[in-house]
Amino acid sequence: MTTQRKAGLGRRSTLKLGVAGALAAPFLSQRAHAAGSVNVGVILPLSGANAQFGINARNGIQLAADQINAAGGIKSLGGAKINLIVADSTSTPTTAVNVAQRLLTQNDVVAILGAFVSTLTIAISEVTERRGIPLLTMSFADQITGRGFENIFQVVAKASVIGKAQFDDTLAIAAASGQKLERIAIMYEDTAYGTSQAGGLRTGAKNAGVQVVMDEAYPLGITDITPLINKLRSSGAQAVFPVSYLNDSLLIIRAMRQQGITIPAIGGAAGYVIPDFAKGLGEYAEGVLSINLSNYDLAPNLTKAFSDRFGYFMVHEALEHAVCMSVLAQAIENAKSTEPDKLRAALHAGKFTNGWCAAMTGGAVQFDSTGLNTLSVPVMVQWRNNELVTVWPADVAKAKPVWKS
Amino acid sequence: MIAAIQALLDGLMIGGVYAVISIGLTLVFGVMGIVNFAQAEFLMLGMFTAYYAWAWLGLDPLIAAPLAFAVVFVLGAAVHHLMIRRVLKAPEVAQVFLTVGLLIVLENAALLMFGSGFKSVATSYQTSALHLGPLFISVPYLAAFLMSVACGAVLWLFLERSWFGRAMRATAQNPMAAKLMGIDSDRMHRTAFALGVGLTAFGGAVILPYLTVSPTVGDQFVVLMFTVVVLGGLGSVAGAVVGGLAVGIIQSISGLLFPIQMQNLVLFVVFIFVLAIRPEGLLGRAR
Repeated sequence: MTTQRKAGLGRRSTLKLGVAGALAAPFLSQRAHAAGSVNVGVILPLSGANAQFGINARNGIQLAADQINAAGGIKSLGGAKINLIVADSTSTPTTAVNVAQRLLTQNDVVAILGAFVSTLTIAISEVTERRGIPLLTMSFADQITGRGFENIFQVVAKASVIGKAQFDDTLAIAAASGQKLERIAIMYEDTAYGTSQAGGLRTGAKNAGVQVVMDEAYPLGITDITPLINKLRSSGAQAVFPVSYLNDSLLIIRAMRQQGITIPAIGGAAGYVIPDFAKGLGEYAEGVLSINLSNYDLAPNLTKAFSDRFGYFMVHEALEHAVCMSVLAQAIENAKSTEPDKLRAALHAGKFTNGWCAAMTGGAVQFDSTGLNTLSVPVMVQWRNNELVTVWPADVAKAKPVWKS
Repeated sequence: MIAAIQALLDGLMIGGVYAVISIGLTLVFGVMGIVNFAQAEFLMLGMFTAYYAWAWLGLDPLIAAPLAFAVVFVLGAAVHHLMIRRVLKAPEVAQVFLTVGLLIVLENAALLMFGSGFKSVATSYQTSALHLGPLFISVPYLAAFLMSVACGAVLWLFLERSWFGRAMRATAQNPMAAKLMGIDSDRMHRTAFALGVGLTAFGGAVILPYLTVSPTVGDQFVVLMFTVVVLGGLGSVAGAVVGGLAVGIIQSISGLLFPIQMQNLVLFVVFIFVLAIRPEGLLGRAR
């Protein structure tokens, strides 16, 4: 007891503090509302291996939020402004969980956006589901919407669908150029994203009766890619489907060129569709195909604001995170409230067509009961002169695909 | 058969690089008895030095490698003088805390200074390979290997032939006797530490043409470096060379026989097996 008193934490004073806190709490939150702002949590990997993606995504969200605020904020809440609270998840799920808990308990956020890396999003979703707070994401591993969670909303298609499109579109592009694909190679990073997308590739190949002559997972942070490329060379594949983040994508394409392997490489988004890919590879990037979840050339009138402000083209993770922000704002508008239950109902009920939603394939965002956007269709893009050009499906394509590497 | 020879060749080349980046670690331990957990961060600093030499001065990383060595050598001497020197006689726990702390500080300082993205250089030979009949020899790997061999040879000459090198080995063998012979042990320690981290930085610069650099690149190498050093025998320079080549070849051959995912599993199974038979490492002296 004496030691407690010395530390200034007697039973009575603790009680007083608690009571004071309990009394003050409603006033504190009321004051936040009176100031006319809505706190939105943003969790992204801003340091570590995937930081560049996190920074891109943050830029997208920032742009969308600034546009909403400049246009008068949330009108049904009396013009309340969006107040972003950004937190760094690093690349470790435990940290992601910790910052999610912090945002929910200390910052009173109405929803969370993030976290690009599927593994991190899955970790965060456990927290948001328990607390009943909506989590809007563009991560796309199948598990994300596959667990029957009620508070998760994914604005893009899921990995197995993307992987299948990566294969089907390639087959169609090859056929359009008079080539018949018979043997393909798949290599992927053994994370949630790589594994589920490779599953989609396999399904596509099986349905089309195409032989998978190489099917190889490799660990995150691989430093020597040569054994993988040696296998590719001796496999006799006519096209290779690598699914990876940035670092590996550079190593793979370089090692292929070194060994004189000229078969087309069709990337699985992520590392294959950001400016750093072209910067790191120079001329070797030209002609590389990749599946993508959206592309900036499909909505140039919207994405120009991004390249004007940040100095590089609007990468897909920036675009889709801007869409997350836009969808959330429209849902709050419809719900006329930031209360979790009403917000969740509004997210499930609406078909969102305004703002950034128009930049998505399908032109709108609508969630099914699992929280998956049913309207999103992956597109195939190709590197041309340091720009990403949409080349498939034919009805939205900006240019004809070139089938060579 | 061709595939096996190819794998052996690839493993040998990458192993030569592993050897050079690990020699520094073993040298520091051999001379000073300190396990430097921050060693891989000096690899990262070497890579960044070479990267900026390329970006700003237009120097090829292979030419910038001696520069990376020099920059990190000076930094290493300063780190030794300001920090490492003070814990030489302290309990091992203090040494571990210091070097692990240094690791965290260096990594985060690099994040602040260089940003968190991946950076890579573009060189003319980056995507070329030599054809030896059915075999491919990647030019950047070969260049890194040759530079590593040259660097190792110079180090060997220095340690074997120069007075300074002999004095350093004397300090490693018996610090008290060396002191009595008039050797300034503090100077030896400082040089050994600076040389150790400088060598690792040199290795970082020569591998830059085929890798990318980011502030967290050290994480990918730290376990590898310790594996090489312990496999070869802690404190033995020749051991680090043998260990490096062994690790490179094991990784490469296992990639041929098993899925790539099992690369490190195979490596550590061999590692445990070797340590079970020779706890002192392949070339280590029994302690």
